[in-house]
Amino acid sequence: MNAWEIFYREFVTYEGYETVLEGLLATVIIAVCGLLIGFVVGCILAVLKIIPAKRWYAKIPRWLANIYVALFRGTPMVVQLLLIHFVIFPIMHIDIPTLAEAVIAFGLNSGAYICEIMRGGIQSVDAGQMEAGRALGLGYVATMVHIIIPQAFKNVVPTLGNEFIALIKETSVAGFIAIVDLTRAFQNIANSTYEFIIPYVVLALVYLVLVLVITLIVRLIERRLKVSDRR
Amino acid sequence: MTAVDVTKGFAQEMRPSIDVRNLYKNFGRLKVLKAVSVKIEKGEKVAIIGPSGSGKSTLLRCMNLLEDPTYGEVWINGRLITPVDPYLHREVICASGTFRTIYSLRSRAVAEGYMTEDELAASVIAEIKRCDLLRRFEGRDYRNAMKALKYAFGMNVNLARRGIGMVFQHFNLFNNKTVLQNLTLAPTMLKLASKEQAEAYAMTMLRRIGLADKAYAYPSTLSGGQKQRIAIVRSLCMNPEYMLFDEPTSALDPEMVGEVLQLMKELADMGMTMVIVTHEMGFAREVATRVLFMDDGRIAEDGTPEQVFGAPKDKRLKEFLSKVL
Ligand SMILES: Nc1ncnc2c1ncn2[C@@H]1O[C@H](COP(=O)(O)OP(=O)(O)OP(=O)(O)O)[C@@H](O)[C@H]1O
Ligand SMILES: [Mg+2]
Repeated sequence: MNAWEIFYREFVTYEGYETVLEGLLATVIIAVCGLLIGFVVGCILAVLKIIPAKRWYAKIPRWLANIYVALFRGTPMVVQLLLIHFVIFPIMHIDIPTLAEAVIAFGLNSGAYICEIMRGGIQSVDAGQMEAGRALGLGYVATMVHIIIPQAFKNVVPTLGNEFIALIKETSVAGFIAIVDLTRAFQNIANSTYEFIIPYVVLALVYLVLVLVITLIVRLIERRLKVSDRR
Repeated sequence: MTAVDVTKGFAQEMRPSIDVRNLYKNFGRLKVLKAVSVKIEKGEKVAIIGPSGSGKSTLLRCMNLLEDPTYGEVWINGRLITPVDPYLHREVICASGTFRTIYSLRSRAVAEGYMTEDELAASVIAEIKRCDLLRRFEGRDYRNAMKALKYAFGMNVNLARRGIGMVFQHFNLFNNKTVLQNLTLAPTMLKLASKEQAEAYAMTMLRRIGLADKAYAYPSTLSGGQKQRIAIVRSLCMNPEYMLFDEPTSALDPEMVGEVLQLMKELADMGMTMVIVTHEMGFAREVATRVLFMDDGRIAEDGTPEQVFGAPKDKRLKEFLSKVL
C-alpha cells in the first residue's frame, strides 16, 4: 500500500474524517468565540485606557488595564492555556467543559491584543463626534457604544481580520489541554498510521483554506461598512 | 460658630438664564478665560465677537461643560452644573478652617476696638480670595457647607445639556448614522420620545428645511451647508431652551453661508435663545440683541449692537472693528 492508500483508508474507511470534522468545528468555535470575547474585553480595556482621568484614583482602571495587557501579551498563549486549565480553574473549583476553557483562554488573550487595536481605532475617530454626542445629553458610555466604537470598528476591520487569522492559527495549541482540534485530529491520523507526510500537508492546506476564507469574509465586511463613506 | 445654613439667602430670582460666574479657564499654564461673568437671559440673542484666540469658543464650551472651568460656576436656570466654587460663597469661606484661623489671629483688632466683627470678617474674606488661601481640606463645617450647596442647587450636567443645543464649526454629524438616525438618536436613546414620534418629528423638521429627500443619506454625501443645517436641526430635535453656535459658518464655502444664516435667522425670529460665536459682523448686527466683545480672556465690551458697532468704547474693540468691517 502506498502512502495515499494508507491515508485514504484511515480517513474514509476508518472514519477518520469524523474526527477531523469535529476538530475543524472545535477550531472554528474556539477562534470565533475567542474573537467575540476578545472584542468585548478589548473594547472595555481600550475605553478604560482612554477614559479621561483627573484625580489619581480615577487612573486605577487604567493601571489595571495596563497590567492586564502586560500579563497577557507577556506570556505565551500555551502557558496561559495550561495555567487556566491546570491551575486557575481547578483552584477556583470551576468545572466547565475543556472547550469552554479554551474559548475563555483565547478570548482573554486576544482581548489584550484587540485592546491596543481598538484604542488606536477609537483615537482615530474625530474628537468632535464624542463632543456632539455629549452636547446632546448622551452619556460617555452611550456615545462610546453607539457612535465612537462603530466608527473605530470600521477603521480597524482589516487589523481585526489579521488578529482573527493569527488567532485561528494559534488555536493549534489547544491540543495541549486534550481538546481535539484540527491539528490534533490530523496528528491522531498520523500517529495511528506512522505515515506523516500526507496528513500534515493536508493539515497545512486546511489551515490555508480557512485563512483564505477569512480574508474573503473580512473583505466583504469592509465593503459592507463602506456604505457610510462617500463613494 | 454653629453650622451655617448656606442655602439661606439664595432664593434665586427664577428668570431662566445661563449664568456664568467669575469663570477662569487655564490650559496648563495658558490662561484662556479670566474672571468672565455673564448672564444670558431667556429670549436674548447674544453674539460673541473678538480676535482669534481670545477665548470665545472656550467660553461657549464652558456653558455646557464641554470644557471644565478651572474656577467659577455655571448656573443653568438656577441650577449649578459645575462643582461648587467655594470662593463665590461667603458662607462657605466663613466655614473654612483657614478663615477661622486668620480670624482668631486678628481678633485683637476687634477686642481693642479698631474694627467691628463684620469689618474684620470682610477683610479676612477679601484676603482669602485675593491670595487663594483655601486648601482641599478645611474641616467638617466647610465640607458640609459645600455639600449643602451641591445638594440644594447641583444638577447633573447630562440633564442640563438636553436643554442646551450646540452647533459646531465642523458640524460633527455622526458619520456612521444616516441623517434621520442623526436626528432621532438622542431623543430615542434618552427615552424622550418613541422611535415613531421621533422620526415623525425629525421628518417634519427635515421637510421644513427642504432636506426630506436626504433622510436616508449618510452625512459624507452632503454638502457643507446641508450638513450644518442638519446639525442645527439635530439640536432642535431635543427641543432645547438654548442654542449655542460656535462659528457655524466658518467652515463653509461662501455660497453656502447664506442658507445656514437664513435658518439661524428663522430660529431667532421664533424666539429661540441663542449664543453665537461668529465672525459674520453683518449677521451679528442684524440678528443679535446683545453683543459681547472678548479680548484676551475677558469680556471687554457688552452692549446692544448699536452701542458695540456704532459707538465702541474699548480701544481694542475699535481696532478690531476697523479691521473686520
Ligand atoms: N484643548 C486646548 N488645549 C490647550 N489650549 C487650548 C485648548 N483649546 C483652546 N486652547 C487655547 O486657548 C486659547 C483660546 O482658544 P479659543 O478656541 O477659545 O479661541 P477663539 O476665541 O475661539 O479663537 P478662534 O476665533 O480662532 O476660534 C487659544 O490660545 C488656544 O490655543
Ligand atoms: Mg473658536
